[in-house]
Amino acid sequence: MKPGLRIDTLRVRRFGHFSDLTLELGPGLHLLYGPNEAGKSTLLAFLRAVLFGFEKRGSPERYAPAEDDAPFGGELRLSTGMGPLLVRRMAAPRGRKSETLTVLGPDGEPVSEERLKEARGHVTRELFFDVFAFRLEELAGFEQLTEERGASEALVAASMRGARRLPEAMTLLRKNAEQLYKPNGSNPELNVKLRELEEVQEQLREVGNRPALYFSKRERLEALGVELGGLDSRVREDGRELERLARLESALGEVSSLATTRAELESLPSLETFPEGGEARLEEALQRSGSYRAEVARLAERLVSTEAELKRLSAPSPVRGREDALRAAVAAYSERSELVRALPARRAALGMKRRQVESALEELGLGVDGPGLVALDLSAGARAGLEALSSRLDVEETGRREVGGALARARSERERLEGVLARTESELAELPEVRPAQVRQQQAGLARMRVARADLERLGEQKMEARRRIEGLRGPVTELPSASSPVIPVWLVPVAAAVAVTLAVAAWLLGGTGVGVLGLVGGLVLTGLLEFARRKVESSRDAERETREAQQQSRKQEEERLRVELAGYVAREELARRELLASATDAGLSPAATSADMTARESALEEALEQAGRRESLSRERDTLRATHDLALRDERQADELLRGHEARHASLSAELNACLSARRFPAGLPAQAALALWRDASALRQRWQDLVADEAALSADEAACADVVSRLRALAADMGQGGARPPEVSNLPRMEHERGSANASSTESSTSSSEGVLPSSTGTQRGARAPLSTEHEAATSGASGTAYRGLSQEAPSSQASSSMDLVVMRVNAALEAAREQEAERRAAEERRRELREEKARLDELCRTEEAALAALLAEGGGGDEETFRRRAVQAHRYAELTHRARELAHRIEARTGLSDAEAREALRALGGEEGLRAVLSQVRARHAEAQEKSKEVLTEQGATQNQLEQWENDDLLARLRIQEETLRAKVAELATRYAEDKLALALLGRARRRFEEEQQPRVVQLASEHFALLTEGRYRRVFIPAGDERELRVSDGERDWSAAQLSRGTREQLYLAFRLAVVRDFGETRSALPLIVDDVLVNFDPGRARSAIQLLAQLAEHQQVIAFTCHPWLRELFEAEGAQTQTLESRDSAATLRAV
Amino acid sequence: MHFKFVHAADLHLDTPFRGVAAQGPLLGRFQESTFRALSRIVDLCLRERVAFLLLAGDLFEVKDRSVRARLVLRRELGRLHDAGIESFIVHGNHDPLSGDTGTLGLPSSVKVFGPDWEEAEVRREGRRLCRVQGISYPDVEVRDDLSARFRRTGDGFSVGLLHANLGGAEGHANYAPCTPAGLGARGLDYWALGHVHTRAELLLPGGGIAVYPGNPQGRHALETGERGCVLVEVEDGGMRRRFVPVDTVRWHRLEVPLTGVATLDALLGTVGEVVDAACARELDGHAVRLVLTGRGPLHRELARPGALAQLEADLRARLAQGHPPVLLESLRDGSRPELDWEALQAEGGFARTLLEEARALEEDPVALARLWEQEALGSLGQRLKRLGVDVLETPRMEWVSRASLLGVEALHEEEEGA
Repeated sequence: MKPGLRIDTLRVRRFGHFSDLTLELGPGLHLLYGPNEAGKSTLLAFLRAVLFGFEKRGSPERYAPAEDDAPFGGELRLSTGMGPLLVRRMAAPRGRKSETLTVLGPDGEPVSEERLKEARGHVTRELFFDVFAFRLEELAGFEQLTEERGASEALVAASMRGARRLPEAMTLLRKNAEQLYKPNGSNPELNVKLRELEEVQEQLREVGNRPALYFSKRERLEALGVELGGLDSRVREDGRELERLARLESALGEVSSLATTRAELESLPSLETFPEGGEARLEEALQRSGSYRAEVARLAERLVSTEAELKRLSAPSPVRGREDALRAAVAAYSERSELVRALPARRAALGMKRRQVESALEELGLGVDGPGLVALDLSAGARAGLEALSSRLDVEETGRREVGGALARARSERERLEGVLARTESELAELPEVRPAQVRQQQAGLARMRVARADLERLGEQKMEARRRIEGLRGPVTELPSASSPVIPVWLVPVAAAVAVTLAVAAWLLGGTGVGVLGLVGGLVLTGLLEFARRKVESSRDAERETREAQQQSRKQEEERLRVELAGYVAREELARRELLASATDAGLSPAATSADMTARESALEEALEQAGRRESLSRERDTLRATHDLALRDERQADELLRGHEARHASLSAELNACLSARRFPAGLPAQAALALWRDASALRQRWQDLVADEAALSADEAACADVVSRLRALAADMGQGGARPPEVSNLPRMEHERGSANASSTESSTSSSEGVLPSSTGTQRGARAPLSTEHEAATSGASGTAYRGLSQEAPSSQASSSMDLVVMRVNAALEAAREQEAERRAAEERRRELREEKARLDELCRTEEAALAALLAEGGGGDEETFRRRAVQAHRYAELTHRARELAHRIEARTGLSDAEAREALRALGGEEGLRAVLSQVRARHAEAQEKSKEVLTEQGATQNQLEQWENDDLLARLRIQEETLRAKVAELATRYAEDKLALALLGRARRRFEEEQQPRVVQLASEHFALLTEGRYRRVFIPAGDERELRVSDGERDWSAAQLSRGTREQLYLAFRLAVVRDFGETRSALPLIVDDVLVNFDPGRARSAIQLLAQLAEHQQVIAFTCHPWLRELFEAEGAQTQTLESRDSAATLRAV
Repeated sequence: MHFKFVHAADLHLDTPFRGVAAQGPLLGRFQESTFRALSRIVDLCLRERVAFLLLAGDLFEVKDRSVRARLVLRRELGRLHDAGIESFIVHGNHDPLSGDTGTLGLPSSVKVFGPDWEEAEVRREGRRLCRVQGISYPDVEVRDDLSARFRRTGDGFSVGLLHANLGGAEGHANYAPCTPAGLGARGLDYWALGHVHTRAELLLPGGGIAVYPGNPQGRHALETGERGCVLVEVEDGGMRRRFVPVDTVRWHRLEVPLTGVATLDALLGTVGEVVDAACARELDGHAVRLVLTGRGPLHRELARPGALAQLEADLRARLAQGHPPVLLESLRDGSRPELDWEALQAEGGFARTLLEEARALEEDPVALARLWEQEALGSLGQRLKRLGVDVLETPRMEWVSRASLLGVEALHEEEEGA
C-alpha cells in the first residue's frame, strides 16, 4: 500500500448550518451517525470542498451560509506521505472568485498547492467525487462512469503514471483534428482549402490543354494565311477583269456613235482643201468692199462743202493790216483808264484839304500864313531848350513848397514843448525836498527794532522754561532698595536637608530599607528644589538695583546741561537790548515807544518815501524837455533859410522863359506847359501844309499824261470808222457784255453761298480752304469787270469824255476779235480739205485690193461663182464637224478602255456583242464580291487567332492559377499531414489506453469479482468487462451473464460498490491510499449484505481511512460491531454539536 | 576522338512557385527562373562548343498547361540548331508522350525519342562521335524497368538517355525503376539519367557511370543549394565531368540558433546575418526556410499563440526588400523541448505503453492499413490524390512514429506546466 492521505482533524468554521465544529478523525473506520438533516451530506460536501474547492455559486452543494456575508469554509488537518498538512479553504458568499486556499506544512509554514495535489495522488476532482467520496444517488451513477469515455480516460489518467494529461491531450488532439478537417464539414481549414483547390483546378480544366489548343490554333493561322493569299490573288484577277469589262461597257455608246459618224462621213465628197471659214471670209470681203465704196462717196460730198466754205472765208476785211496799232492804243488806254476816271475826285479832295489847313492855321493864333509857318524855327533843339526850362521851374516850385511845410511843423513843435516845460516846473515847486535814502534808513531802523523786541520776548520765555525744567529734575529722588535683606535665608537649605535625612532615617527604621531610601531621596529632591528657588529670587533683586543706579546718574547729567543752557540765554538777552537801543535811534523813536507809535511812524515814512520818488522823476523829466526844446528851435531856423534860397532861383528861371517865348513869336507870359502844347500844334500843322503842297503837284502831272493817251486812241478809232462799215456784232457787244457780267455775278453769289455752306463743315483741309479762295478771286475779277461796266454806263451822262472813250475801245476790240475768228475758221477749213483729199486716195486703194482678194477666194473655193462657193462651204462645215466627232469618239474609247477603237470593237465582238458583255460582267461581279467577302472573313479570323495566340503566349491567368494551385496543394498537404498526425496520435492514445485497460483492469476486475462475491454471499462469482469497445460491466453467476441493468437495484448498487472498492484498493496499492467517504450507500442492502459490505469497508480501513455516514441505527450497530469509531451528529434543532461515543 | 556534351534533366519549365507574393520583384524572378536556367544551359553549350545536348525527361512541369514553356524550349533549341548543335530529348513522367500534341515544331536537329527503344548517331565531319539511345515515357505511369531495353550496339562511346529511378531513390515516385547492376549489365558508357532532382553519380559495375545532374533550378525548400547541369568531356575513351550551376534563384534551409538571443530585435539581426551569409549576391533571388533551433530567453515569447506567425510575416516583408530579394518560404520552430526517450522508455507508465503500441503498429502494416481506413484517412488520401496531392496516398510508417511523438509530447506538456 502506497502512502496516501488521511484526514486527522476536520474543523468547520462556517459551512451550511455548521459553525465552529471540530471533528477529530484518524486512521481506520469512522462512522458519523446522525438523524436526517443533522448535516451528514453537508459534511461530505465540506470534505470534498476543502480538498478540491467549493462548488460553483448557485449550486446547493456550495453550502454557503445565507444569513450574512461573513466568509465561510474550514480546514482539514491531514496526514500525508510527506508529513502533516493543514489545508484551509475559505470563501466569501457573494464575492466572486473569493476562494482562498491555504496549505500549511508540518511547522505551520505555508507550502505550495502542489503538495496538496501530490497528497491527493493527482486524482481528478471528478474521479475523486465518483470513486472516493460519493452518495447513494451517485453510487448508481457509475453506469455513466463506465460508459463515458471521459471518465474512463480519467480512470486511466488517475491510475497510470504519465497519463495524467490523457483526457486533456485527447480533447486537444480531437479539437485540433476537428478544426483541421471534418469528412462532411465545410468550415474546417482543410475543407476550405480543398474546396478552393477544387475550384482552381476546375478553372484550370476549363482553360484546357493549352499547348494543344495553341498549336492547333497556330496551324489554323498558317492555313488561314495560305487561304488568304489565294483569295487575295483571285480578288485581284477578278478585279482586273471586272475593270476591263466595265470599261468596255462604259465605251459601248461611243463605239456605236463612232460607227454612224464614219458612215455619214463616207457619203460626203472630199473637201479637205476647202478654205477654212470660206463663207465667212467671203461675206466679210463683200461687206468690206461695200463699206469702202460708201465711205468714198461721203468723203467726196464733204470735200465739196469744204471748198465752198473756204471760198466764203477768203473775202477781204477793213481791219486787216492795222490790228497791231489798234491793239497798242487800246492797251495804253486800258492802263490809264483808272487814273483818268479818278482825276476829278482827287482834285476836289485836295481843295477841301487846303481849306481845312488854312482854317486850322488861323485858329492857332500865331498870326502867320502857311508859308510863314514854314519859315518859323520850330526845330527839335529849340523845343528841347524850352522843355528843360519848364522842368527846372517845376523842380524849384516843388522844393519851395516842401521847405515851407517843414518850417511850419518846426514852429508848432517848439511851441508845444514850451507849454510842457512850464507845467513840469510848477509841479516841482510844490513837492518837499526829501531824499528817499534817508527815509529808507529810518524804515530799516524800525524793522530792526521790531526784531529786537521779539527776540527779547522769546529769550525771556526760554529762560523761564529752562528754570522750570531744572526745578523739575531736582524733585523726585527715590531711595535704592537695600541688598542686605534676602527673601529666603541661606541656612534654610542645610536645615531642610537635615530634616529630610532625619525623616528618611525615621522611615527606614519604621518601614524598612525601601521606604527609608525612598524617603531620603524624596527629601533631598525637595531640598534641592528649595535651594534653586532661593537663588532665582536673589538674582532678580540684584538686577533691579542696578537699573535704579543708572537712572540717577543720567538725571544729574541732564541738570548740568540745562544750567549751561540758561547762562547762554541771559547773554543773548543782553545783546538783544543793545540792538533795540541802536535801532530806536535809527528809527527816530525812543526805545520805549509803543507799537502804535511805531505803526504811525511807519505809515508816515511810507508817504514821505513816495513823495521823494515823485520829485526825483519830475526833475529828470524837466531836464529832458529842455534839451528837446533847444533842438526844435535850431530846426526852425534852418527851414527858414532854405525857403529864401528857393524863391530866388524861381524868379531867375521865369525871366529866362519869357525871353525864349518872345523869340518865337509866342505870346509872352504864357506858362511853360501851355507854350509847349502850342509848340506841338504848330509843328503838326506845318507838317500838314507841306503834305498838301506835294499832293497838288502830283495831280497836275497825272492830268497831263492821261490827256496824251486819250487823244491818240481817238485818232485811231476815227481812222477805223472811216475805213469800213462797222460790223453788226460790235453794236451788240455792250449788251452781251452786260448779260455776261450779271450771269457771272449771280454765279459768283451762288458759288460763294455754296462755299460758305461748305465751310463750317469743312475742317480746314487745304482743298476746302483753297476752293473758296479761288472762287472769291474769280468773283472779284468778274465783279470788277461788271462794276467797271456799270460805272461806265452810269457815269456816261456826267463824264461824257470818259464814256465815249470806253465805247470807242469796245468797238475796236470787237472788230479785232471778229477778224481773228474769221482767220482761224479759214485755216481750219483748209486743213480739213487737205485731210479729206488724202483719205479719199487711201480708200480708193483699199477698194482695189479688196476686189482682188475676193476674186482669189472664189478661185480657191473651187467654184467660179459665189453661189457654188456657198454650197460647198456648207458641205465642208459638215465634213469638218463629223471628222472632229469621229476623232473625239475614238479618243474617248481609248480613254475608257485603254484600247484603240478597232481593238475595242474586236474585243466586243469576241464577247458576243453588248448582250454577251453584260452577261459576263454580272457574272464576274458576283464572283468578285464573293471573293472579297470571303477574304474579309478570313482576315477577321486571322486577326482573332493571332490575338488569341498572343494572349496565350503571355498568359497571366494560367500562371496565376497554377501558382494558386501549387500554393493550395502545399497548404492542403501540410494540413492533411497535421490532420493525419493528429488522427494517428489520437488513435495511438486510444489504443494505448485500451491496452492499459486490458493489462490493468484484470486486477481491478478480479478485485471487483472478489468483492462482489463477498457482497452477494457467493451468489455471483465473477465480474467482467467484455472484449471490444463496449465498456459495460457484466456479472456471471457461473451459469449465465447478466448486464448491470438486469440486476435488482440493491444488487446493482452492490456491483458498483464492489467495483469502486476494487478501484480504490488498486489505486491505493499502485498510486496513493486516499480516504473513502460514503454517505449512506448501504440503505438498499439487506442486513446480511450490509454486514458484508461493512466488513469489506473495515478490511479496507486497515490500509486506508474510511469515513461512513448513516442515519440508520441498525447500520450504526453493524458498523460499531466491525469496530468503527462512531461520532454522533445532533440534529440541526439542537445545537450542532458532536457527541463522542 | 574528342568531344563534349551537356547533360541536363528535369527542367520543369514554367514551374509555379508557391508562396511567392504577387507583388514585388520576387514573382517575376521565380517565374522566369526555369526559363533562365535553360537559357544558361544553352549558353554553356554554345560557349563550350559541345557536340550535343541531352535532356533526360521532365522538360515541362505539367504536360499540357504551359504554352510559354513550349515556346521557350523551341526558341532555345533553335539557338543550338543555328549553331549546329544537336539535342536529344526523352520525356519523363511529368511530360509523357501522351501529353504531347506532336506539333512542337522543334528544329530538325532535335531528336525526340519515342516510346520504343531507338538509337541515334552523332556525326561530325563524316565520323561517328557517339551513339545515343533513349526511350520516352509513353504515359505517366511507367513501372517497367525501361533500362532493360538498352544495349550496346557497337564500338565507340554510347550514351543511354533515360528518365528513371535508380535504386529506388527516396522521395521520388518509383517510375521506371532500375538498379545499378541492371544498368551496368547494359554495357553503356554513360547513363544520362533524369527524375531524381539531387545531383548524383554512380559508378556502375562494368565501368559505366550513371549520372543524375539534378534539376537545373531548385523549385522548393527541399531542393536547396546549387543546381545545374553536367558538362562531359570525352577524349580517347576517358571522360571528365564538371558540374556547372545554372540556377538563378536558390533555395536554402537555414538554422537560426536562439541560444543567447535575448530580444526580438536581436533575433531579427541574427536572421539577417544568417541570411546574408547564405544568399549570394550574384543571383537573382533566394528562398529560405528558417528553422529556429536551440533554446534561449526568447523561447517562451515565441511559444505564445500567433507570435511565430507574426515574426514570420515581419521577416517575410523585410527579406523581400533585400538585394537580392529573399523569399521567406517559412519560419519553423525547431526549438521544441527534446524529450528524453530513453528515460521515458525506462520509466514505463503510459508513455511507454504508447510507444510500444506505436512500435507494434509500425511492425504491422495490416493493422496500420486498418487503422488508416478506420480513421477515414484513406478516403481523404483518395480525395487529395484526385486533386494532385499524394501526401496521404498510402499509410507510411513515419506517420506512426511522428504521431507517437506528438502524443507523447501532448502528454508530456503536463510535466512542463506542472
